[in-house]
Amino acid sequence: MTAVKSLSPLSGMGATIRRLLRSVKNWFSRLGASIYSSLRSVPTWILWLVVSIWSLPSVGLLVNSFQTRDAQRAGGWWKVLTGQGDFTLDNYNTVLRADTSAKLTDSLLNSLAIAVPATIIPIAIAAFAAYAFAWIDFKGRLWMFIAVVSLLAVPLQVALIPLLQLYVGGAHLTLPFLHKTITLVPDFDLAGTTTAVWLTHAGFALPFAIFLLHNYISQLPADLFEAARIDGADHFTIFWRLVLPLSVPVLAAFGIFQFLWTWNDFLIANTMAGSNPDATPTTIRIANLAGDFGRNEHLLPAAAFVQAFVPLGVFMGLQRYFVRGLLAGSVKG
Amino acid sequence: MEKILDTLLSVGIAVGASAALWVAANLLFNQVTTNWRRFNTAAGATIGFLLMVVLDGNRLLRSLGPGSDTIGTIPAFLWTPFIGAIVVGVIAGYLSSVDDPGRRLLISVASFGLLGVVIGLLLEDAYKPSFDHVALVGWTVGLVAVGAVLSALRERPPLSGALIGGALGWIVGSFGSATLGTGSTAEAVIGAAVPAAALGWRFGRTPNADDATRGRIDNGSRAFIFLAPALVFIAVTLVVPTIRTIYLSLLDRDSEDFIGFDNYQSVFTDVDSFDVGSWTNIFTSRLFLIGMVILAFALAVAWFGRKSSGKAFEVGGPAIGPLVIAIFLLVFAVFSVLRGTIMNNLWWVFTVTLMSTALGLAIAVLADRGRFESVAKSIIFMPMAVSLVGASIIWRFMFVARNENKPQTGVLNAIWVGLGRLSTGNGLPTLLFGAAMAAIGLGFLALLAKSLVRRQWNRIPLLGLAFAGMSWFLIRFYSSGVGGIRTNASGELKANPILFVQEPPFNNVWLMVILIWIETGFAMVILSAAIKAIPSELIEAARVDGADDSQIFWRVTLPQIATTIGVVVTTLIVLVMKVFDIVKVVTNGNFGTQVLANDMFQVAFSFTDTGRGAALAVILFLSVLPVMYFNIRRMQREEV
Repeated sequence: MTAVKSLSPLSGMGATIRRLLRSVKNWFSRLGASIYSSLRSVPTWILWLVVSIWSLPSVGLLVNSFQTRDAQRAGGWWKVLTGQGDFTLDNYNTVLRADTSAKLTDSLLNSLAIAVPATIIPIAIAAFAAYAFAWIDFKGRLWMFIAVVSLLAVPLQVALIPLLQLYVGGAHLTLPFLHKTITLVPDFDLAGTTTAVWLTHAGFALPFAIFLLHNYISQLPADLFEAARIDGADHFTIFWRLVLPLSVPVLAAFGIFQFLWTWNDFLIANTMAGSNPDATPTTIRIANLAGDFGRNEHLLPAAAFVQAFVPLGVFMGLQRYFVRGLLAGSVKG
Repeated sequence: MEKILDTLLSVGIAVGASAALWVAANLLFNQVTTNWRRFNTAAGATIGFLLMVVLDGNRLLRSLGPGSDTIGTIPAFLWTPFIGAIVVGVIAGYLSSVDDPGRRLLISVASFGLLGVVIGLLLEDAYKPSFDHVALVGWTVGLVAVGAVLSALRERPPLSGALIGGALGWIVGSFGSATLGTGSTAEAVIGAAVPAAALGWRFGRTPNADDATRGRIDNGSRAFIFLAPALVFIAVTLVVPTIRTIYLSLLDRDSEDFIGFDNYQSVFTDVDSFDVGSWTNIFTSRLFLIGMVILAFALAVAWFGRKSSGKAFEVGGPAIGPLVIAIFLLVFAVFSVLRGTIMNNLWWVFTVTLMSTALGLAIAVLADRGRFESVAKSIIFMPMAVSLVGASIIWRFMFVARNENKPQTGVLNAIWVGLGRLSTGNGLPTLLFGAAMAAIGLGFLALLAKSLVRRQWNRIPLLGLAFAGMSWFLIRFYSSGVGGIRTNASGELKANPILFVQEPPFNNVWLMVILIWIETGFAMVILSAAIKAIPSELIEAARVDGADDSQIFWRVTLPQIATTIGVVVTTLIVLVMKVFDIVKVVTNGNFGTQVLANDMFQVAFSFTDTGRGAALAVILFLSVLPVMYFNIRRMQREEV
């Protein structure tokens, strides 16, 4: 004990060294632990890598949309990170002002004129039909429903040619044996109008809408309907007062899905109204802008973001409904 | 501003008028149970109105009023329909209170017959028929027989059907098969009055409805009112056009002559849509050779794996990773040699479906219960909200390739050319990059060694492949150089960007990247929901039994979400098969990137070859039909 005591200065130093060693060891083990945990979180790193790759294209386009034409051509958008960007709002100004050749304002209105009726009308019609299939008893109900749902299998390309012919010249039927042609649908001069586009959208949306709404409406409690019937409510009242208010979630889900679908559509709009510049929606306008041999290339990023503003807003604001509608909508033909 | 108002107005009128019509129909049939006479009057008025609209609207009748455009303040074209509505409404309303069968029949036949006479008298000269007696008798007798048989089959009195058939037959026989415009007024009167009287007879035979019948009418009419708008819309926009497209596909380009299956034949014999002539080149392509080597490696692994586990190939087993890579390479080898529209479509389906599903699943698993799960998932999912046109524009800026003297503005080429400069340079960046790559390679080697020591056989094949790939990259990096750089004739180093969009056949793959970018989010959301729905007891039980993370994934999670993966795959197959917007916007089918949907659009609407366009549409239809059939069957099993 005394020996130890006599060595006290040294032993004190030894303790200091030991403490030092311990703290170094601690530090190392903490470093090791943090390296280990960062290695363990490699999946997380991979996830963030994927996420950044995924957002890279959009971020680049967003940056470019605020750059002058010269800055866009002088180098990649990442140049702004080193302070070499040349920011401007001119692109948006050009795209949104009504008196330039690259304006989108008219086509934005056309997009609305297509998307709004193409959303409201199928919702209403499909809700009627879904109610009938779910709660009105009539002969052939099952096979008729199956027939309607089977039409989901028809890709819309199959209907395009005859529909365009219908809009261009009406529908005429030459009666067999009699050799007389009767007009089934007169020529309403719909070719190249927004009406032709939303009519087509409305029709194509129906099988899916009926299917989706039927799933929901048929699950409503039957007691409710019986009680209403006993109180003397007719089908119309039940539908209006009971079914519609109760189905708001599914109507919203379908509405959002259908609105985005029609807003973002290119094929139907291009077929039915592509030839008429006064009726083209934004998607076609932008595609044409892209085909202008680079003349308006510098406006494309801004135009693309203007077009995407509505769907992105819906996406941010109503994501829950959006996802629900989209999940259900994944089966659309 | 004016345009907004116009648009709003027309949409408002369309929606409002349809809604008003529908509500009115409901209110009308509400009267069936409450007020029978009012219902009859209103229904009769509607029928009279519509009948006169059709007759008058087609200019079949002489104008009733004076020659001017308006009578009072009401336009003349509304006059005749209104008179028709009042007349038929009054007849029907009166009949609804006559219960004696004899009187009912008499009044009905007389009043309807009289109406027919009036219509016959008013018929324009141009439509007066001169009878072809044989045809008249033939059609009438024929349709009487058809109507009677139909009635008998439905277990109703045959006379009911016979009367309706007779009326129809008489109209067809007297107006349809006769020469119009040469006949006399008498013939016109006979032609119109006889069917009208027959219909009156049919109507007069039915007694006024009792309560039970009224209930049935109420219910049946409601089914009809609720369904009719949908059925009409579907018939006009889907059913009839589909049938017509199939018919048009059998006609020539102007829809004049019937040419059988020539359109289909020409699609499959055209080298643009189906070119398999150079199939022998598959076996000499580099992809094929590398694929075969990896396949051999996978088979070897499977052979050894079988000795230890008893199964050569097993989900999550060591041989699966190399096998998948080998199959991928071999399929790419095949599709890069066999060209044409149809092959492109199949290539799209294979690549996009597989990659989107796999990536979506990987992200869903990686993000599951992570810290910023919802943020990460939102970002991956965001491309779903953007239109395909917008996505194509976004990626155009990624794919830009500029000539060697200009700075690259596209991210991908900037990286590619930058990599080239790095590997040919000898400054500090080259050193650092090389060192980093070597470190990663060594990391793979270390993991490989660790797995060998711990006998984690499952990881070894993929780690081995990764290490081999990395070594190959490093050797290239330090010897001949990697990336977009080339030495030109005068020995200078020049940028050599990839023409992502223009260079066949792999420009197809770059277009597919756009769709993968979009659809991965879709796959991720659905699969993530499925993963979250797995009961947690299941996972915990597996963990208690000593399963590690990868075993839990392969043996528990994956089997649990197998159905959902099936849903994602089938949905994507159908969706990708119909890919249109991306190809249309980025290349418009040039540079060997044509796909069926864009081909159909071009042929039908730009080259106005209706027959071939229709044939392409039908081919598209038939190719998605089996998958859709499968999908719909599943939906009905699950949800109806």
